[in-house]
Amino acid sequence: MSGDMTYILAGWGITLVALAGYTTILVLRGRRLSRQVPPERRRWTS
Amino acid sequence: MTSPHPASTASPATRVLGVVCLAGMAVLVFLAFVASPKDAVQGDLVRLLYIHPALAWTAYLACFVAFGASIQHLRRRTQGSDVLAHAAVEVGTVLTALTLATGSIWGRPTWGVYWVWDARLTSTAMLFLLLLGYLAIQRIDAPPQVRSRRAAIVGVLLVPNVILVHQSVEWWRTLHQDATLARRDFDFATSDLFMFTLVFSVVVMTLVFVWLLMHRFRVGWLELQADEVWLDEAIDARRAEGAVT
Amino acid sequence: MLRDALLVAGKDLRIEWRSRVATNQILPVALMILLLFGFALDPDSPVLDRATPGLFWVAVLVVAVLAVERSFSLEAGDGVRDALRLSGLDPAGVFLGKFLALAAQLAAVQVVLIVGVVLLFGRDLAGLPLLVATGLAANAGIAAAGTLYGVLAAGLRVRETLLPLLLLPVLAPVLIAATRAMEHALDGAPADGWPWFNLLAVFALTYTGFGTLAFGPLLEDS
Repeated sequence: MSGDMTYILAGWGITLVALAGYTTILVLRGRRLSRQVPPERRRWTS
Repeated sequence: MTSPHPASTASPATRVLGVVCLAGMAVLVFLAFVASPKDAVQGDLVRLLYIHPALAWTAYLACFVAFGASIQHLRRRTQGSDVLAHAAVEVGTVLTALTLATGSIWGRPTWGVYWVWDARLTSTAMLFLLLLGYLAIQRIDAPPQVRSRRAAIVGVLLVPNVILVHQSVEWWRTLHQDATLARRDFDFATSDLFMFTLVFSVVVMTLVFVWLLMHRFRVGWLELQADEVWLDEAIDARRAEGAVT
Repeated sequence: MLRDALLVAGKDLRIEWRSRVATNQILPVALMILLLFGFALDPDSPVLDRATPGLFWVAVLVVAVLAVERSFSLEAGDGVRDALRLSGLDPAGVFLGKFLALAAQLAAVQVVLIVGVVLLFGRDLAGLPLLVATGLAANAGIAAAGTLYGVLAAGLRVRETLLPLLLLPVLAPVLIAATRAMEHALDGAPADGWPWFNLLAVFALTYTGFGTLAFGPLLEDS
């Protein structure tokens, strides 16, 4: 059964790492772009 | 703090949602690894089933959002619909890639192979390529309206294309049944906890998708604004030069 | 609309006739692909025999991408697209015209490839009605999707790499269906192949319809 565990951990691991990584990239992109734009124009709704 | 909006894409709504998502994921991991027992037939491998269908579901959800937003863009030509479609496709690409990866990783110990040429897996792979095509067309060197319009056409055709591919692979593979390649279905003994965890995983992943979509939408919107700010400043600088002389 | 379509188709085909790009450059690519497959797969084993329909249609797809790029490079010259827009031609007609010209060129390619398959791979033709119907339906689907995605990638420097990425996944159902139909035809069981023809017909109608609708807005801003 431990052989199976490798696959399970690999699957979950890749998923969590990828999602966390994409989240980080997204948040950092957001902060960088926000600084370039004046506060009044930062939101679609404003 | 006099500025109405912070220097990031966060907002009270996303902060709350983010916390809920993190908590949900933690609960899901607990349920998947600790609380739920080994399946009678599948053993530990059923734990992978707590993440793969959820990823697949949110990937398709992303496609439908992109589909709807693209249609809206073709009808109304708004910037918002284009940004939404682009955001949905990008998030969807990540989710589709993960769907393929987890599906492959689950398939190896279950069926002994990393890949089977069935309708579901193959059309998901084709969807991945179609999404890459959409992302590519959003990066072409053309005026923004031209780019958005062309991207919207590609976006609208995502759903029909996947349906066409799925049908053709389905007919192809079911009409050519090898005796050795019998239906690669799986059996599992359903228990209440299993079903609950499955549904829970779908709910949590959907919330994660919404969170990612909101942030990616705001990033896209900021990109638009940043370009316009750059343009405005360049025009002002040009005017200032003219005024001095 | 039909009059405009024939006008545009005539223009494209006349340009082709005078420049002979398709005949001199694109057709030989098709033949070369057949030869390459012959080199790669052992002609004496049954593998090549069984793979022939698939190889045929893969060759058609590769050539189709080239033909679509050629079709839209005709309009890439200075002001040609503006002239097309200002000419008052019905955009749906322009779509159908380019579609017809492309379909005609692809039909020529298929004929040459079929002759090549018979000669080089030693395959006997059978189930001709199914073969011809498949060829026509697949042609229509490839030409319609090709014209639509061709205009999406038109006028761009990255056209050569963007077009295959966009078009080939879309054409996957055509490849699957046309190959199965041809297999059944050549194997002497055409009855099994006709359902695949239906799929090809649906594909062709879908893309011809959508292309006619979408061409207008696309042409006006490209």
